[in-house]
Amino acid sequence: MYGAHGPDLGEVLSLWAIVPFAGMLLSIALFPLFAPKFWHSHFGKISVFWSLVVAVPFLVLYRGSALYEFLHIVLADYVPFIIILVALYAVSGNILLRGTLVGTPRVNTCILVIGTLLASWMGTTGASMLLIRPFLRANSQRKNRTFMVVFFIFLVANVGGSLTPLGDPPLFLGFLRGVPFFWTFNLVVQMIVVVVVLLVIYFIMDSYFYRKEKDGLPAYKEEKEPLSIEGKHNFIFLVCIVGAVLMSGMLKLGEVSIFGVHREIEGVIRDGLLLLIAFLSMMTTRKEIRDDNEFTWFPMQEVAILFIGIFLTMMPCLKILQAGEKGALSVLVKTVEEPYHYFWVTGILSSFLDNAPTYLTFLSGLLGKFYSGAGGHEAVMNLISDKEIYLKAISAGAVFFGAFTYIGNAPNFMVRSIAEETGTEMPSFFGYMIKYSIPVLVPVFGIITFLFYL
Amino acid sequence: MSIEKILFPTKFRELAFDALDSLTVLKEAGLKEIVFLHVILREDVGFVPFGGYLKKEEEKMRAEARIRLEDWQKTLDEKGIKSKIIIKVGRPVHEMIHAAEDEKVDMIVVGRKKRIDIENTFIGSYTHKVITRIRLMTFVSKYMVEYKFDNAELTKVNDRPFETPLITVGGDEELSQRAVDSLKKFKGAVKKAIVFFNIDEKMMDEKNKAEMEQLKEECKQKCGKYCEQLGAAGIEAELHLGAGEILDEILRVSRERKASMIVAGNTSEHRFLENLLHRSISYQVTKSSELPVLLVP
Repeated sequence: MYGAHGPDLGEVLSLWAIVPFAGMLLSIALFPLFAPKFWHSHFGKISVFWSLVVAVPFLVLYRGSALYEFLHIVLADYVPFIIILVALYAVSGNILLRGTLVGTPRVNTCILVIGTLLASWMGTTGASMLLIRPFLRANSQRKNRTFMVVFFIFLVANVGGSLTPLGDPPLFLGFLRGVPFFWTFNLVVQMIVVVVVLLVIYFIMDSYFYRKEKDGLPAYKEEKEPLSIEGKHNFIFLVCIVGAVLMSGMLKLGEVSIFGVHREIEGVIRDGLLLLIAFLSMMTTRKEIRDDNEFTWFPMQEVAILFIGIFLTMMPCLKILQAGEKGALSVLVKTVEEPYHYFWVTGILSSFLDNAPTYLTFLSGLLGKFYSGAGGHEAVMNLISDKEIYLKAISAGAVFFGAFTYIGNAPNFMVRSIAEETGTEMPSFFGYMIKYSIPVLVPVFGIITFLFYL
Repeated sequence: MSIEKILFPTKFRELAFDALDSLTVLKEAGLKEIVFLHVILREDVGFVPFGGYLKKEEEKMRAEARIRLEDWQKTLDEKGIKSKIIIKVGRPVHEMIHAAEDEKVDMIVVGRKKRIDIENTFIGSYTHKVITRIRLMTFVSKYMVEYKFDNAELTKVNDRPFETPLITVGGDEELSQRAVDSLKKFKGAVKKAIVFFNIDEKMMDEKNKAEMEQLKEECKQKCGKYCEQLGAAGIEAELHLGAGEILDEILRVSRERKASMIVAGNTSEHRFLENLLHRSISYQVTKSSELPVLLVP
């Protein structure tokens, strides 16, 4: 047995143990790029494959300890993670923005501002799904729409989600590990800097292209429809989601054992409430609203299937990192030292891997480095009181850099898919980076480093 | 008024063309145009996890569908029926409803046009969604079905669905009248209509022989007017009464009288609880009968 009565599992695992995790993340990075059709048809099997590659040998070698760790990561991390995504996705999918918007630079900038503000409260996925179609409709007559969608991904699908654990999955995983709900407000100044710089760049670009295109733009054929929001009562459900998550962070009701895994009762109640909210939202909203929103559960199913693979394969990696300098990744733990190291390394890895597991990996790394062997929530509170800048660095890195590539954050691919479906040409994986991420985001993140982490 | 424009959604399943061909007889009833709708499922081309959208795949699927539909168009051209092709990416039911509204069609054709196994019910999930959501005359086509009758496994080809329709009346008079009025639009394609009225167990409760006779006469009179209306519209019609469980009686009479389809008022539409329990008679008939069903809103 490992853990309570023997050496920690993370201390005895070798680097080989993280091969399935690397395989899983590389599959997510490379298959959509080089074999998208194959990936589209078989991503579930690939997720199962990597899960088995890690689960079978672990269960054979470490039996009870391995089973406990797998159950723990599924019940304590994966299930709440999927439930919050489902709740936010369902509720935001039941809100429909109708009306005619004309895509001028001012209107577009306003949409981006609204989306950025909403993202922290309805999730980057929810805000993106709510606004991307109206945004594209507003600009249907414009010729150069690509840069608009890219900035939408930057702001609404990523940076906007940095203020609360509801905003972006990595921050919710941090919340589950003990980061207080309102702690993420500490990122507000960094967020404002990034948002303002990006909006200024956007406005200049949009104004330039608008002036260039203005004379050639065809007149709007459709009759002007006044702006309106349908399914407004779902905003109440959004408030309920915030309330349920807040409640779970504030109450301490003890623990309950589920399959031998101790879970806080308030967390279980929160998950139940979130499912109930999602159900009530679906039941109380007319189906036509979802139809007109082109709502489908399919992207959420994909995320659920892929992330079970990610979470299972991630377990050994997290354990090794939690072991700090006693673990097989001690070199990494020793090398990454300064806050700006954490900002950039978390960020760059978040760009090419999904940002949620990357955040969790680096959070575990930090806890292993500074508080090796200490309990989860207690270590997190110590980290906040003694070394807060490190937590800020990995939080900002994970959220901001999620915009760096299409695979950095789940809503990126949903926005891209909808844009391409409606006839907006989007750059390739590398085109996105070369034309937009590197010239725009790298200097902005340079400013953030200079202002906050040096 | 006649059925001038039909929406024909297709996934190019087995026997879909035969089902289409069986509709062309409606030219005799005034059919002028068939609108083909092929929906490429968004899930088949969009939301590639962490990828994006399979544009080339969509273009390929569109091209394939167009080639097939253009070939079908030739057949319709030869029969003097106009046609139009719509290919969309999205969700089938949503696109069907939108296309039906945009094109202002008189009838939508849904249902499995391929062989239907005995084990399956005669209604699919798309058909279920359409008939419970659309306010439009809906023809549930079942071109070839396998079914059980007297413990024998039989195959039925419904290639002349409009020849001998069985129309169910009674209960809701307004709905019955709408069903009769709808059937009149098929004049030219219908040879003889069977007007069916069921005397259910409630109506028969505690009635003596004389009262039963009186009830029968009342029912005959009540339904006779529908036969007269059809006759006046040029459709020969005869009345048949059933007694007992309505679904069993509809199935029995439709088989005995060799009906070619069943016409029923669509009581599935917008009845949440009944739909949830699959209890509405029109739904049950559509699900259980081996015959095509025309649902009238």
